[in-house]
Amino acid sequence: MGAVTDDEVIRKRLLIDGDGAGDDRRINVLLKSFTKWCNSPATAEEGFTQYQRMLGTLAQCEFSMGKTLMVYDMNLREMENYEKIYTNIEQNITSAHEKIAECKKEIQRAKRIRKNRQEYDALAKVIQQHPDRHETLKQLEALDKELQQLSHIKENVDAKLELRKKQFHVLLSTIQELQQTLENDEKSDNDDNNQESPAENGE
Amino acid sequence: MGPVELLHMSVFSQSFSPCGRFLAAGNNYGEIALFSLSAALSPDATGLSQKPVLTFTAHEGPVFSLLSTDCHLLSAGNGEVSAWSWTELIKKNIKPLWTKRPNYKSSLEIPEINSMTINSRDNSLIVGGGDNNLHVLDLEHGVFKAVLQGHSDYVHCVTMREREAEILSGGEDGAVRMWDSRTAQSVHCIDVYKYESCARPQFGKWISCLTTDSDWMLCGGGPSLSLWHLRSLSPTSTFPLSGCQRQAAFYQDMILAVGEGPFVSHCLLGGDVKAQIPCSPQSLNTLQLNTNSTEHRVLTVGGSSAHIDVFTNLSYRAFSLSF
Repeated sequence: MGAVTDDEVIRKRLLIDGDGAGDDRRINVLLKSFTKWCNSPATAEEGFTQYQRMLGTLAQCEFSMGKTLMVYDMNLREMENYEKIYTNIEQNITSAHEKIAECKKEIQRAKRIRKNRQEYDALAKVIQQHPDRHETLKQLEALDKELQQLSHIKENVDAKLELRKKQFHVLLSTIQELQQTLENDEKSDNDDNNQESPAENGE
Repeated sequence: MGPVELLHMSVFSQSFSPCGRFLAAGNNYGEIALFSLSAALSPDATGLSQKPVLTFTAHEGPVFSLLSTDCHLLSAGNGEVSAWSWTELIKKNIKPLWTKRPNYKSSLEIPEINSMTINSRDNSLIVGGGDNNLHVLDLEHGVFKAVLQGHSDYVHCVTMREREAEILSGGEDGAVRMWDSRTAQSVHCIDVYKYESCARPQFGKWISCLTTDSDWMLCGGGPSLSLWHLRSLSPTSTFPLSGCQRQAAFYQDMILAVGEGPFVSHCLLGGDVKAQIPCSPQSLNTLQLNTNSTEHRVLTVGGSSAHIDVFTNLSYRAFSLSF
């Protein structure tokens, strides 16, 4: 069934379209009519009409050819235009890629910087909790001065104590010596008295 | 894995592969699941790409800690450390390279290992766990070369201070101890709960989250999450987060913290909480950033659910991987 229809179709197409489509058909028909006109034994009027008709067909063919050439030119120029746009877009893509890589590097740097800043802040917080160095130095200086003063006073008091001790020592030793001398004198007085009284008693 | 087990699953640890294309997650059943990030993040990802490419039982107890080195995945569970080769795991070969157990004094019960960290200077692994001590394993020779004693209760978290080669550990006894890795002696001991600005006596004094970037330290748990300056050993800012934080990380100029509560908190170093991004698990245990790969830079969080949330942009949850 399909094969029969195919044959029918082929035959119908050959009958209708035997000369090819459009311009091709026109050229074939022109060629055929030219050969017919050359070989036709017809009258001059008919020959002239056919000649005119052939000129008309020729003009149509030339016109069609001119149109096709212009369309071809236009296509070439469109192609060039598209090529240009294509290279332009490619360049844009590569530059965008590069920019993206740059930005990625920038973001890495910025993240590193942020991390460093945050570490710095965290350490600064801890350091702030400790007292200021100048304050501590000043306190240390004040304490030093106080210490010096107090040691000065201590020295003075020690010196005074020594002096008083020595003076008391002198005083006490003098008193002791006097006491000793007095005792000695008393003893020698007593001895004298004792020697005298037996002497007196002996008489 | 039945639906009841899935309901009771908790994700305790995560680790990204050295190539950055895979995520290993450990849960409370002792399993480790490997997820393919490149499949899950590709434009034609389906529901199947959010399932693990490999799940295997690694330990008998929960896997509390996972760590990735250049070519190995180290997992801690049931008191022992196992090493797996990443290339073998990607080929779905689940035989461990080695399994070692620190010398625990008591042989009656096996203390769990809560946290591990790598000291890249002398290629050693430091594990801390339930026996109140930190054990140092030399990865070259495979022997435990030192024991750091000092904590009076079990150790929750261990981290490494790269520049000064110090180990920091936080424990249930509320103390953050700093150890010198060469002499294995405790250099400093900070009792965080004794500082008024951080202490939260209603939660206790335990420290469950500890992280450092050599100059600064974040610690939290019972006391509120606080930022400490390590050279002066003084707390500089406290973060007003309700609930106890379980893991925190420094990221660019922000601090990311997860803990109780179904959100990831973004905080600034000054002490302000900038944002709290909601997630699917009700409380979160672990947070990891994929720094090993440039095209799969994601943040993943896991917690008390069988789902692991993946954030491609830190401001919102993109999708979830599920066990």
